[in-house]
Amino acid sequence: MKPLNGHRFKDGDEYSNIIVQAHNDSFELGCCRVLAERNNGENIGRLIFIDNIYDLESLVYHHKLVKIQDEFLNLPLLLERKEKIHEVFKNFVSNLTYDLNVYKNTFDGLDAEFACESDVVRKVLQQAIIKTEGPAFFNFLDQKMQEQEHIVKGFNRSEHEVHGFYFRTQLWDMIMGAPFMARTNLKPRGYAGDSEMMSMIYSADYRGKTTFFKLLHKHPINQPAAQAVRNRRHAIAKIIREIKGRTREKDASTLKLLSVACGPSKELEDALLTADDCRNLYLALLDQDASALLEAKETICQIEKKLNTKLEVDYLNESVRTLLALPHIEAKWGQFDFIYSMGLFDYLTPPAASMVLGKLYQLLKPGGEMVIGNFHVSNPNRYYMEYWLDWVLYYRTEEDFTNLLKGVSNAETKLFFEDNKVQMFLHVKRKD
Amino acid sequence: MNRSIELTIKPKWDEIENVRNESTDFLISQGISNDSVQAFAMVISELVENSVKYGRFTSNKSKVTVSVNISENMIIAEVINPVDESVYHHLRKLDKTLQWIRGFQDPFQAYIQRIRQISRKPLDDEFSGLGLTTIAYEGQAI
Repeated sequence: MKPLNGHRFKDGDEYSNIIVQAHNDSFELGCCRVLAERNNGENIGRLIFIDNIYDLESLVYHHKLVKIQDEFLNLPLLLERKEKIHEVFKNFVSNLTYDLNVYKNTFDGLDAEFACESDVVRKVLQQAIIKTEGPAFFNFLDQKMQEQEHIVKGFNRSEHEVHGFYFRTQLWDMIMGAPFMARTNLKPRGYAGDSEMMSMIYSADYRGKTTFFKLLHKHPINQPAAQAVRNRRHAIAKIIREIKGRTREKDASTLKLLSVACGPSKELEDALLTADDCRNLYLALLDQDASALLEAKETICQIEKKLNTKLEVDYLNESVRTLLALPHIEAKWGQFDFIYSMGLFDYLTPPAASMVLGKLYQLLKPGGEMVIGNFHVSNPNRYYMEYWLDWVLYYRTEEDFTNLLKGVSNAETKLFFEDNKVQMFLHVKRKD
Repeated sequence: MNRSIELTIKPKWDEIENVRNESTDFLISQGISNDSVQAFAMVISELVENSVKYGRFTSNKSKVTVSVNISENMIIAEVINPVDESVYHHLRKLDKTLQWIRGFQDPFQAYIQRIRQISRKPLDDEFSGLGLTTIAYEGQAI
């Protein structure tokens, strides 16, 4: 800051109000003090807020009036939240936090023992510790999950919400150290289950800065719910291959496939194994997330490169909910022989799920088939996902799932499960 | 006994209070507890406000329809307004915001984060999204 019109600043001078004019607006920001600085004899200095503190950079460059202390406005709400927590749950969280810190300190101590070794040596030693000590830590976590389930399973929705928030607030530092848990909690793309999370589940490796966090990252990925995600990828690939095989025998016309909420489309790597598989095939890959579509494009490029062939693909950047508002979608996209969606319906309320299903059914050719996935109510990791990962799904029973199709006539339906029985699939065939 | 009402209103701001009053009277008449009535009246008001704000009303005949239906363990409020492609970007934003809110196990967390975001958003950005998080947190209705 430099004074104008012959004014001089003296170190320690205080002003009762600073007025900033920016973006054709005037902002009164309150008291400030001068911190004088010398620069080649020039009288320059800084103005420091001594009451309310504002972010001037945000105001001048981004037209945002940010008062730093506003963060404190939420404190009463946040603090009183703990009053609703059951004592038994508080004890559980307290013991869990203590135990986790004991494990963390022990693993961190081991990491420190070989911190000076080369990367290669460190990696091998870390693998040895994971192999020898990891199972016991996983057993401890499994026991804690069971204990937690025992405490919370009778809670109503509102109790789950408030206890989940309390749980994550207490364990936030632990959660943030494990890459998978951090991502499901932070949801950087604005929703859970993004393609990066899927990629972590598919690769099922150890990630994290320390041995402890590598294990904490891996534990949820070892669970039946994550295995179900890996299983469904192979299950859907198998179905695509069966349908492709059937069509190949029948005629040489192009098989049209639509993948809804396609994500990175990794299942296509398992479904398209030869150049012949790619012939007479049209793929429409739909996702609301442009980043996911880029990853799907990458998958397609890799398949094309590997098989030395070209695939006919359209990438549709659309959300299924807004899809409902689009008129004449059938005329725009045509009809499909096979439509599938693996990880979408778990996020749709019953009315939305029913409407989307009806709309997708209209997009089937007569004789066309559709396979839709949804987690079953019996998912053994439900509370783990909700409390630790802040990952909430709409779980369905067999009846709930088939009822979504109630408004559709002429459909032939059957249900089946992946190998773990955690995720079910609704198979629909358009009869007419 | 009639367990539902349907109201049709003009897309005007002063109609919001009328809808709030009528739906409140209806819910009270159905024996709904006072706390739930207040929460639900707030939810309906927020929805109608969004409807008036973002609906596409091209003629004098364009209306907002509000229905409230009480079943055994659920109360459903439905607010319908006309849209066309010119307001499609609002639908996308709505969809994104709903997904974001539903991404939290506890809507309180969404509410707190939204308040923080609002305090840091550009002054000329009129969209707050606070109404939807309030529906989720205070109304327990998303």
